[in-house]
Amino acid sequence: MGDLEATRLAGKVALITGASHGLGRALAIAFAREGAALALCARRAPALDEVASAVARLGADVLAVQADMRSARDLARLVAVTLDRFHRVDILVNNASELGPTPLPYLADYPPAAFDDVLQVNVTAPFRLTQALIGGMLLRNHGVVINVTSDAAITGYPGWGAYAVSKAALEGLTRTWIAELAGTGVRMYAVDPGDMDTDMHRAAMPDADPCELARPDDVARAFIQLVASPEPAPVGQRVEAAAFGR
Amino acid sequence: MVASPIRPLPSLPAELRANLPAELRGLRRDGVRLMVIDRTAQSIRHARLAELGSFLRAGDLLVVNRSRTIPAAVAARRSNGEIVQLRLCVRHAEEWHVLCVNPDPPHANVALRVGERLSVAGTDTVVRGRRADLPLLWRIEALSEGIERMLRSGEPIRYSYVPEPVPLSHYETVYANEPGSAETPSAGRSLSWELLLDLRRQGIDLSDILLHTGLSSLQDDAVDAEHPLFEEWFAVPPNAAQAVNRVPRVIAVGTTVVRALETAAGHDGHARAMEGWTRLRLGPGSPLRVVDGLLTGFHEPQASHFDLLRAFLAEPLLDRAYREAIAERYLWHEFGDLCLIL
Repeated sequence: MGDLEATRLAGKVALITGASHGLGRALAIAFAREGAALALCARRAPALDEVASAVARLGADVLAVQADMRSARDLARLVAVTLDRFHRVDILVNNASELGPTPLPYLADYPPAAFDDVLQVNVTAPFRLTQALIGGMLLRNHGVVINVTSDAAITGYPGWGAYAVSKAALEGLTRTWIAELAGTGVRMYAVDPGDMDTDMHRAAMPDADPCELARPDDVARAFIQLVASPEPAPVGQRVEAAAFGR
Repeated sequence: MVASPIRPLPSLPAELRANLPAELRGLRRDGVRLMVIDRTAQSIRHARLAELGSFLRAGDLLVVNRSRTIPAAVAARRSNGEIVQLRLCVRHAEEWHVLCVNPDPPHANVALRVGERLSVAGTDTVVRGRRADLPLLWRIEALSEGIERMLRSGEPIRYSYVPEPVPLSHYETVYANEPGSAETPSAGRSLSWELLLDLRRQGIDLSDILLHTGLSSLQDDAVDAEHPLFEEWFAVPPNAAQAVNRVPRVIAVGTTVVRALETAAGHDGHARAMEGWTRLRLGPGSPLRVVDGLLTGFHEPQASHFDLLRAFLAEPLLDRAYREAIAERYLWHEFGDLCLIL
């Protein structure tokens, strides 16, 4: 990527959930390189602070908020402190995801409380965060929401129980919301980043060959393409990161 | 023309105080009722908020207050161990002006000592003094993490007619953006995006200003009756000022929008982009330079809100509307029904 392409997100404010590891971390760094101001959140403060320092060294204006996606109060606090600091959010990336217990149990064996946890983090939290931020986007008639999904949403892999259910629900949420946003300047996507070399992937599939997995940094570049693109995705369509921007 | 004799207004029956938001009363958020007062025709009609579009016309501009409600009631521990409730009223950079009340209903004011330390959600602050103009408001050192601490442990300010806690999201408007209002800018609380996007398709545009509301009550009847005036932070952004100056009719959603826009209005009848503190008081005879209509809630005649209504409505029509609202069983306060003045 040449210098001319850099800072495509200058002046934009992005909120990225689950920013301490994996794709979230790569997105934070990629967005910072493009000039975005960043609100980052994660459950574990030390790893989050490390990412916040890294993006600050890249010159980004950054706010790190420790937050548990299962807590309505934490979500409200995340939204409020972000808007108190930056006054608006142009790009929301609902990236934080909960895989569930590993090794992945069959649904017949799934602990019910763990099922609820996965749905809260992967469906309810994106709903609440999007709802809390989309009002400002609609006032400005401008904004992008990206929900990170998975091919588990559309394929019935054994063992991917609650995660698969949650990502299917997230895609349903995205489709409905896209229809309701028709005619506005606010865009929403469900993006499948594909199989990546991340902690989550190692927890789910410890035997996978890392050489066959995408690098989060490369996937993050596809997200930038999508955010910077003026062309909205067709209603109801899920977007595969592998299909563009690499 | 003979003005109606001014009779004392009937008091508000307790059961007409809305004790839950519409969406927790089995209605939709925009399912509240709408009284439409036409000043030209001197008429009063009864409708639903969802029918708002039928009373407006293409080219009208709705202006909303995008300030987000914060959980402005927060527990604090005094050095003697006593627990009090602080209610954030005015937030300056270095200093917050707070009401200090008993944590239990009826939340009577509690006197603090100047110089005393308070612990708020695990962080310390100090009482610097009281406001000379409003001694019930205590000047405390701003918390080092700003409103973060309030967001961790605060609760929305709730008055006696709302018996059970209501989650914060119901105190927020659907377009809430920057946080800072101690109380909900409630006229817009009932608006839904479904309604607003419908209006936009009908050619009724939407613009927004910011005004962080302070407290509507200082928990002291004598002080409240004087309609205490304090400063509120506001911003009229350039695009809002331009929109207001471009359209034939500006409808303010809530009295906070009237306060912000009229503060930013020049004698030439044009709004200009502006931000800062407003201390504008509007009442009977106040000129309305840029606002042409008002969507507002029903609040008691004792409230300063009623004074502002007198800038829009002559006494006989206001008197009639008040009596009709009670006779027609409109619901009052922040979770209640609405009134459109054109």
